[in-house]
Amino acid sequence: MDTFILNWLISVPLFAAPLLIACLGVIVTARAGVLNLGVEGIMALSAAAGVVSVLQGGSLWWALAVAVLCGMLLSAVFGIATVVFKTDQVLSGLIIVAMGEGLSGVLGRGFTHRPITGFESVDFGFLHDLPWVGPIVFGQDILVYVTVLLVALTGYGVHKTFTGLRLRAVGENPSTADTAGVNVTIYRLGAVIIGGALCGFAGAYLSLSAGQVWVEHMVAGRGWIAIALAIFARWMPWRAVVGALIFGGTEAIIPRIQATGADVPVYFLMMLPYLLTLAVLIIPAITSRGSQDDTPAALLTNYLREDRH
Amino acid sequence: MLDLFYLVSRQQVPAWLRLLTFVAGLSTGLLLCTVVLVLSGVSLSDAVNEFVYFVFFNEIGLAQTFTAFVPLALVGLAAAAAIKLRFWNIGVEGQMWVGAILATWVATYDIGPPWLRLVLMFVMAAVGGSLWIAVPAVLKLRFGVNEIITTLLLTYVAFLLVQHLLFGVWRDADTGFPASPAYEPGVEQLAKLGWGNLHQGVWVALGAGVIWWWLMSMSRFGFFMDAVGANAMAAKASGLPVVATIVGAVILSGGLAGVAGLVIVAGQEYRLTQHIAVGYTFSSIVIAFIARFNPIGCLVVALIVGGVYTAGDTLKVFYQLPSATITLLESIILLSLLVAEFFGRYHIGIRRKVPA
Repeated sequence: MDTFILNWLISVPLFAAPLLIACLGVIVTARAGVLNLGVEGIMALSAAAGVVSVLQGGSLWWALAVAVLCGMLLSAVFGIATVVFKTDQVLSGLIIVAMGEGLSGVLGRGFTHRPITGFESVDFGFLHDLPWVGPIVFGQDILVYVTVLLVALTGYGVHKTFTGLRLRAVGENPSTADTAGVNVTIYRLGAVIIGGALCGFAGAYLSLSAGQVWVEHMVAGRGWIAIALAIFARWMPWRAVVGALIFGGTEAIIPRIQATGADVPVYFLMMLPYLLTLAVLIIPAITSRGSQDDTPAALLTNYLREDRH
Repeated sequence: MLDLFYLVSRQQVPAWLRLLTFVAGLSTGLLLCTVVLVLSGVSLSDAVNEFVYFVFFNEIGLAQTFTAFVPLALVGLAAAAAIKLRFWNIGVEGQMWVGAILATWVATYDIGPPWLRLVLMFVMAAVGGSLWIAVPAVLKLRFGVNEIITTLLLTYVAFLLVQHLLFGVWRDADTGFPASPAYEPGVEQLAKLGWGNLHQGVWVALGAGVIWWWLMSMSRFGFFMDAVGANAMAAKASGLPVVATIVGAVILSGGLAGVAGLVIVAGQEYRLTQHIAVGYTFSSIVIAFIARFNPIGCLVVALIVGGVYTAGDTLKVFYQLPSATITLLESIILLSLLVAEFFGRYHIGIRRKVPA
């Protein structure tokens, strides 16, 4: 039983990290009043781009850079459409999902099911030999530690800096922010692209570290779960950590249970992450209806200076 | 630089401008799609040949196009019914899966007399789709839970349910493949019409389109739909049954999607497989938006998208292009059309002098 729990805990960050990074991307974007539903597609494109780069002879860090760049480019398409050309955010987000999945399929043809050597766990020397703490805390790959850094940076950036304050102002009330001299277009575009970079990072993590292979449909709804997670975290980076650990823990337990050979219906087990996501959306809605709403007030509304009143 | 321009919302977009932006958006989209195809190694003449001549002007190709049209028309109508009222049903694939599961259940366990079997399969498919969308509908209307994510997540749940059945009780004992036993010809299969693989399902799709058109333009329900779709608050203030209208449209949407699942299993595959409902959600959105939620428009656009599907099948065989290519092309066209609308909705002025 001990080894079961230990193995499970060791694998939790592997599943939690991509959800957490993508969730951070959603939060940064949403704080500027833009909901980018395209996460699923951005992750798919970046996951494919990362593996294709490695299989073409690039290094892992180069592949990560390419994946992040792809995330930024695809989110820039979304940003230009919604922020500059004022297209509907929901519909544009769905288009980005399709575009990302389509691009990943076209780009990744010929590169599927070809395993790569991804990021290995970091060598911490004797620290790794500590009981329990050693393998769980000091046995992860480098990107997990980068993720921790990203959470701290995002949390600090959004809540403690002037840029973060302006960003949140744009998301709460763009016309007031505009009057105060904040360039709404630049802030929104910037937030969308930074968010896209984070989602690209998350996609790269899936293929370069967690899966170490590219397979079509490998994102499997994690982009959508990340959005639900952002709602659950009430758009706060540090709360997203808690959510991501719960979700990562649930996802991580599935292969563990399968490994024990216990006779459980596999496909029902695989429904768990999706059902849990539904549960975290439903339970707060039922228990605390209308009590507290942290959603950025201008979320999903496009800003047009000439319509200001 | 952006301060050089200013935008003024037009109160009303004149018809000629609407047409102009549509044509411009479509041309840009088609141009970009051509670029994508050429970059993927398809020559220009082949692209025109596959996407225009074969699928619409060749008897074999046109039959394939019409066969692809049947489920596409149904999902297009399903998306239009719900999204017109701002209920984002992006779980069409999930509703198709559940519809197909219940229809297969009727077929596999031979429920009801043979002459009634297909009718029963239809009813159960519609019920399945409706039930699957009822959950997000209740959650949204009663508790305010965002339907975009719930409808989508339930698609994954439905697909896992299909896999559970196909790798379990319904696995074909004869072949060992993860597919249900074949439906009985003549009793559980939609009959072919003698033109390619086109089957009776085409009457269902056309019938659904015409009935939906009648409902929308002639009935009181259609009037409610228009009012709620335009402004739900104003409709509520005027005493219209807003919630009942939304529930009705959403349930119909799920039912249509369920029937779309049925026409594939009973008309094309003759069994439940893992491949019946992949990629239809986005196609349904594309069809609904390009048709501007108009039922007859949905039928027309579904036929064109059916042509794209047929061409996609050819590309898969001859150029090893994945089916994701179709999704990519659809997304490019819809985005181009959407961005082009901007130039109709706003008058763009240039400032002579940037105010200080």
